[in-house]
Amino acid sequence: MHHSDNPQVNRRQWLGASGAGLASLVLPLDAFAQQGGRRVLVIAATQDIPNFDPHIATGYSASFLLRNVYDALVRVEGSPPKPVPELAQSWTVSGDGKTYTFKLNPAARFHNGKPLTADDVVYSFKRALRLNKGNAWMIQGVVGQDSVTAVDAGTVRFNLLKPFAAFLHVLPWIWVVSKADVEANLGSDDGQTYLRTQTAASGGFKVRRAEAGNLYELDRVDGWQKGGGNLTGVIWRIVRETASQRLLIQRGEVHIAVDLTSEDMDALKDKPGVVRIIEPEYRTFSIKMNTRHGPMADLDLRKAVSYAVNYKGILDAAGYADLMVGPLPNGILGHNPQLAVYRTDMAKAKEHLAKSKSPNGGIKLTMAYVSGLEQQRRFGLVLLDSLKQLNIQLDIKPMLWPDMVAACAKPETFPDFFPVYQTANYGDPDNVAFAAYHSSRNGNWQNAVYANPEVDALIERGRAEPDSAKRVAIYRDMQQKVVADAPDIFGVLEKRKLALRDNVKGFQFAPVASNAIECFGLSLT
Amino acid sequence: MWSYLVRRLLLLVPVLLGLTVLVFAIARLLPGDPVALAAGPNASPAEIAAYGREFGLDRPLWEQYGRYLWGLLQGDLGVSIYTRRPVIEDLRAYLPATLELVLAAMTLAVLVGVPMGLWAAVQRDRWPDYLSRVLALGAISMPRFFLGLLLQLGLAMALGWLPLGGRFPITEELPLRITGLLTVDALLAGNLNAFWVACQHLLMPALAMSLSPLATIMRMMRGSTLEVLQQDYVLTERALGLPQRLIITKYVARNAFSATLTVIGLYFGWLLGGTVLVETVFDWPGLGLYATKAVVTQDFMPIIGVTLVIGTLFVLVNLLVDLLYGLLNPKVRPA
Repeated sequence: MHHSDNPQVNRRQWLGASGAGLASLVLPLDAFAQQGGRRVLVIAATQDIPNFDPHIATGYSASFLLRNVYDALVRVEGSPPKPVPELAQSWTVSGDGKTYTFKLNPAARFHNGKPLTADDVVYSFKRALRLNKGNAWMIQGVVGQDSVTAVDAGTVRFNLLKPFAAFLHVLPWIWVVSKADVEANLGSDDGQTYLRTQTAASGGFKVRRAEAGNLYELDRVDGWQKGGGNLTGVIWRIVRETASQRLLIQRGEVHIAVDLTSEDMDALKDKPGVVRIIEPEYRTFSIKMNTRHGPMADLDLRKAVSYAVNYKGILDAAGYADLMVGPLPNGILGHNPQLAVYRTDMAKAKEHLAKSKSPNGGIKLTMAYVSGLEQQRRFGLVLLDSLKQLNIQLDIKPMLWPDMVAACAKPETFPDFFPVYQTANYGDPDNVAFAAYHSSRNGNWQNAVYANPEVDALIERGRAEPDSAKRVAIYRDMQQKVVADAPDIFGVLEKRKLALRDNVKGFQFAPVASNAIECFGLSLT
Repeated sequence: MWSYLVRRLLLLVPVLLGLTVLVFAIARLLPGDPVALAAGPNASPAEIAAYGREFGLDRPLWEQYGRYLWGLLQGDLGVSIYTRRPVIEDLRAYLPATLELVLAAMTLAVLVGVPMGLWAAVQRDRWPDYLSRVLALGAISMPRFFLGLLLQLGLAMALGWLPLGGRFPITEELPLRITGLLTVDALLAGNLNAFWVACQHLLMPALAMSLSPLATIMRMMRGSTLEVLQQDYVLTERALGLPQRLIITKYVARNAFSATLTVIGLYFGWLLGGTVLVETVFDWPGLGLYATKAVVTQDFMPIIGVTLVIGTLFVLVNLLVDLLYGLLNPKVRPA
């Protein structure tokens, strides 16, 4: 038969072809991005940068691009973060905390070579407020359309609508655009189409390449800024899997990985050439309770739950983390590390349960969590276990995030337990206090239901008070009142987990926006 | 033939119209508040309402649909409420990567699956048949993302033969964009080095994507070949003393391939909509991740845009399959 011969020929051909194929596949590893005098820092991150408009874009990836490409009046550095000069060389604040006067650095130039003047600053703030998107909320109600004036080409004055103690802390997030460039490309949408893909900036880097979903490359600008590191460029490489980020940093194909998990950090321990950064950050995780509707509206039941929670279990589930001590992030101005908070104590839990409307438990509560966020589910399981001891059942329901946001609109639709991660956008206690505990935020996912007029008054006093010592006292008072109301199960502060190659020099950790890496001062050796 | 082609292409219009109605309705009737989400955590109810108005979401559903269709006729697929980017721009950026991946995966699946299926049938119940059966079972059972991770650990991490992920080395400029398919653009530019580099990046994800269709194609090809081998005309050809190679390649393979072709057409559409896991593992900047993100955030316009594009491609590929039937078998050639 013919076909008895064919397999041998086929087999030989096949093996031959496979061998040749495999041999030709051997290739060198990707060359490191340091060739021909270029020193390009590569950062691996999961998030894309879909929009470059500094008055629209948000998220850590956009913040990375904007804080490197654009300049703001001041920037923050250190831990706790302190405002330091950027476009503004110096500033003065009036005694009532309402008037800020900034002297601009006369050397400041846009990438187009034109000098940056007070007019550009005024234009930028007005545009941010006019569009009312992106980070505009940080200055909304504090800076009005007529609040910003150019005293002369090198001086800008802000007459705030009301005193705002965190003003210098929000300024790094309101970037300055070139008025001439934007006006030349205004279109019908206030330059939004233009600035979505182009820049009108003055920062230490400019965009060289943008490949959506893949990478963004920045080139250093020999501009007005002096000093800084030795980088000639930076690549923001989108690597969606944290495990892939780990492999890349291990192989030296990226210099910084910004989205690593606790498991990745364990795996990177003692790996040659890799430096792990595990630092506390102002990012809280708490489980909000429905203080307005259903069984959790009962303060005693909330206290019973707060005492019943297995905090050690929550800490273990969180990996690299610290337990929260009250509503504010540990280490932030005004935080009280001595605050008496709820810790696991079944006797007290049962005591409060006995005083509640369900003295013997026997009820069923619901916790929603973001579908796919495994960590939140784990926290839910710890809660389920804790509540069993009070004879309370817990139904843990995964929900899509848009559905969860919709559920926050009314107390009637808000679940009994609602886990929330909250990242401070600026390094001031006002950020977390206002977003998470002021009643004006009700209906919003950061504070759907909790309202206490006394707490509101303290938060408002805290944001208006210019004196730091007085602010500390106000926030301590506020924390005590919030803890007494037990609106949240105060959970953990997960530490920020970054990995760097050991040839990256000049990196300084800051507990705000630490994954939106500031590159100007960095060097590669 | 031409009138058949035109008729089929015209049929595309009601199919796509139906698709828009369906997806439009489903996307809007889902619970959840994507506008509140997109407006950000700090937006007041008035700001959220204004945000919705900006995108015309306060209008009646029929009016929104009418505006969408009007835009569609002018090549406007709307704007993402999240990123504010026009959907057409996003599709232009992401579709070629996915298309290249799916085409490469299907090419691999066909090039390996068809001959192996044929060989397994010819060598029925001998070791090539057993080998193909084991391979098919393994390939069907293995989740694509898991295979992707194994390939990464083996070929990239341990052996260092292939890059870990991405479409092209990040420090090198891409070849001039013509089609968006890097391998094709590199060839068009006459840049063989770039073509080779793009192929190296494409190989692992395409391999991971190709296994499941490969296994199906192999089994289909084996089954239909066995059926054809029992036909009288094959017996006649053997009796006439035609060489086995000729019988298999000229008469058997051609007839057996018709049935497999249907599967290839169907798999193409299935792969287009199912790239997300492989794209995630290999950092492949394609449509899968874009679509998933849109679905998770209920971003209407990208959802509809992606569905339309995949629907169109699916219909077109199956039209091509129908035309190929005619080429393979004159009996089913359209008049």
